[in-house]
Amino acid sequence: MTIAFKPEETFRGDYTYRNSDAAVLRFPFPFPEDRYMYSVNIEPHVRSGPSDVFMRPFDVDEHYIAECRDKAITLERDPGRCQVLPHMMLAQWDTLELLMESLSADYPALFSLVKEGDDFGSRWTWTNRPLGLEQSFIFGDPATLPCEPFEYITRQAQGDFAICDQRDNNLYMDAGMVTSQADWSLEFDVGMSFMEWHGPVPLAHQTGVFERALKYLLMLRLGQPVRRLNWTMTINPRLDTSPENFPEWGTDRASVTPDNAGQKVHLRVELQTLWRLPRSNAILFPIRCYLASLDDLARVPKWGARLHRVLSSLPRELVEYKGLTRYLPAALEWLAQHDDGAELPVGTESGVTTLAPR
Amino acid sequence: MMHSDIKSRPVYQPLVPDLAGGRHLLVVEGETLAAGRLEELAGVFAPVQARLHTWLAGAAAPLGGLGKLWQLESAADVVDALACASRGYGVGDRLYVQGTEPFLWSVATAAAVIGFGEKQVQLYHAGSLRRRVWCTHCHGMTEGVTTSIVACGGCGRHLLVRDHFSRRLGAFMGVMVDAEAPGEIPAIEEVFA
Amino acid sequence: MTGETLKLKVAALADIAPGLRHVRLVAADGGKLPPAAAGAHVQLALAGAARTYRNAYSLVSRPGARDAWEIIVRRVPTSRGGSAYIHECLQVGEVLEAGWPGNLFAPVRTARRQLMIAGGIGITPFLSYLAEFAFSGVEHALHVCCRESEQQVFDPWLAGRPGVSWYWDADGHRLDIPALLAAQPAGTHLYLCGPAAMNEEVLAAAAAAGWPDTHVHCEHFGSALSGGEAFRAFLARSGVEVEVGEDESLLDAIERAGVNAPCLCRGGACGVCATPLLEGEAEHRDHFLSAEERAAGLLIMPCVSRARAGRLVLDL
Ligand code: HEM
Ligand code: FES
Repeated sequence: MTIAFKPEETFRGDYTYRNSDAAVLRFPFPFPEDRYMYSVNIEPHVRSGPSDVFMRPFDVDEHYIAECRDKAITLERDPGRCQVLPHMMLAQWDTLELLMESLSADYPALFSLVKEGDDFGSRWTWTNRPLGLEQSFIFGDPATLPCEPFEYITRQAQGDFAICDQRDNNLYMDAGMVTSQADWSLEFDVGMSFMEWHGPVPLAHQTGVFERALKYLLMLRLGQPVRRLNWTMTINPRLDTSPENFPEWGTDRASVTPDNAGQKVHLRVELQTLWRLPRSNAILFPIRCYLASLDDLARVPKWGARLHRVLSSLPRELVEYKGLTRYLPAALEWLAQHDDGAELPVGTESGVTTLAPR
Repeated sequence: MMHSDIKSRPVYQPLVPDLAGGRHLLVVEGETLAAGRLEELAGVFAPVQARLHTWLAGAAAPLGGLGKLWQLESAADVVDALACASRGYGVGDRLYVQGTEPFLWSVATAAAVIGFGEKQVQLYHAGSLRRRVWCTHCHGMTEGVTTSIVACGGCGRHLLVRDHFSRRLGAFMGVMVDAEAPGEIPAIEEVFA
Repeated sequence: MTGETLKLKVAALADIAPGLRHVRLVAADGGKLPPAAAGAHVQLALAGAARTYRNAYSLVSRPGARDAWEIIVRRVPTSRGGSAYIHECLQVGEVLEAGWPGNLFAPVRTARRQLMIAGGIGITPFLSYLAEFAFSGVEHALHVCCRESEQQVFDPWLAGRPGVSWYWDADGHRLDIPALLAAQPAGTHLYLCGPAAMNEEVLAAAAAAGWPDTHVHCEHFGSALSGGEAFRAFLARSGVEVEVGEDESLLDAIERAGVNAPCLCRGGACGVCATPLLEGEAEHRDHFLSAEERAAGLLIMPCVSRARAGRLVLDL
């Protein structure tokens, strides 16, 4: 498999990020039905599903190099986006091992891992060809890496990562690498329990979603990861929509008009997976973010129409929580032209193999 | 205390001595003592008086009935005293704190550092509802906030004071209120008196 | 690193003491095992004469070992048949089916001090704990109560590790549990694994000394989501009768019979598999149905729940 990377594209400033046709077709569209409400939408993370992004445990796509660069810029400006509490060292190594093993097995042309042994104390050599990195280090000895193991490996992966320590029948967000979040702050949340960090989410607590999800996660098994999709919307293809930098991107929300909504408004889908880690018994929570403009999505007729219906019927509490209030009318007006009202089949599949021309 | 839909907002309960505990430490922020409150506490803690130490931060000493009594100046002194007691407390000991929210969490965080588990600690919110506000943008703290929107002491931005609460920081989240439309600042209300 | 079951080959067997057998297991395909860690156990399927036993054993191998796993099995005359099988029938070279490692007894990594009390064979989970604590450097102590003659049995795993004390039933050699528990600084976590009588004694002493239950951890095996008694279910709409085995879920059995049943999480949380129950009484194991719904008895979650007794009839 060859991936045509786009190393020069940007997620800030001139925003040159674009999806190829192939990237649009494999987009993990999150709406199987015309209405959306929070639920415990967790399923086994197996190598199958309606989108190609599910085929590998950790998906790498054409934006890989550019996303890693954007992450480095964000970390340079705010090193606090990576936080690890002191008792999480084992979980750091667990994460490094899981990512290195998975990436090198699924993308042998891009990544390789050579091990002289599996135990702590063994010499490992990691090669990351897209980023041009080679690193020889002692597994288990942080001093042999340029930074701590969690930061080292998650700088080389798309998306955000949180690690939850499990104790007292609860999960605690005790580590994170968070540079492309949908408006939540790691600095504020680090150390919180499952219910605390989910505190601001409307409606879901009352319907028992979080209580059931937590009980399920406490029983999560090694070797049997699970996944769920979460979504919001972002103006411009911006990865760093942190609350820290809200003053920088907040005004973008006021810039949307029915004319420019197609290019400006992006659906932001998070493929969230959950992994039991072997040595630390912690849970790794990778949040892989996919961005597609309304223009992109409307090239798949089913998706354009469905998004219009989901957004027009979205509960007011969700509209507010996701920060859509100011520009939703403009986005809906733009999407209306792609919805003829005909019944749509249930499911998230695109239903097409090629896209209408732009 | 105010009601909120945001679940990170702690729920506080009246202090009740846990009879299973070994030694008992009661820490009270003086300014939150309503008339008669110390006598009331002495009554409640009577069953464990022999094993009770009371630290009063910023209040005059009462007549007695609160075990061994110590007087301290401020929250900072309480935090220092706890840090020094690092090896002094056991798994069976209990901590009870009465105070404003910033006081409660300064003490609770210091206790956690020396090993107190959540179930060893009881917190009772009394006195003013004023908040410590953490600025999401400059990460500075603004103390004693009583209004729905406050100018950040660090960066000057107008922050909307949310109910989302971090125990680690002992603070509520403040987010720039006019980030989408600069200058559009809603009416500021006095809400955390 | 994903999968549900593993094939393990017995690489070596050794009787390390009367009634104590050490088993070394490797991946049957010659590959690597998944890493597992302090407190982890592995569930082995052992084909007894009458039925297959699924017993869980603590891994005593080095944390993270991927070349081989080790377990130590005590022969208890009254125990479930699995241990008897290991002592009497198991052969080097035999291939066993196993689940991926589970961990219901992981140490609390935020503890400032780790205190372990073992009774006899209950030392097994602590062999991997000691290796981890030596690596992380956290302050720790292990107190082992056993027969005087058993002290040396575990030497190969203790390898001169500091912080281990031995006690046995003779004057001057008994462990003074209340004194030990009273002397522990804030931030200590206690782990215990031993015979039921010892566990109860320590738990009572800890409660009396004011230990919060969040700081006391007692080893217990078995996953809430694993099987149970076999039973039968009739799928009324499809007209199919299914046999649900001890080790499979009702949902597995329905799928095996070729009937389509909706599902998502397969762990009792999402609610997608809720199925009308027409007859029979369910043993509810899900996190989804409310107490009222359970009492009404009209719904069952086949991904985890089973029959309390007899046969179930489902609207499927
Ligand atoms: C254990 C790992 C998890 C982590 C670290 C995590 C973290 C977060 C965070 C930080 C937020 C943002 C809250 C805010 O506004 O400040 C969030 C939102 C949310 N989470 Fe989770 N979460 C986890 C698992 C789950 C699971 C298993 C579910 C399943 C139901 C879930 C459902 C949600 C929902 C529905 C939202 C609101 C999202 C939106 O509308 O944009 N989370 N999560
Ligand atoms: S499949 Fe989710 S509850 Fe059964």
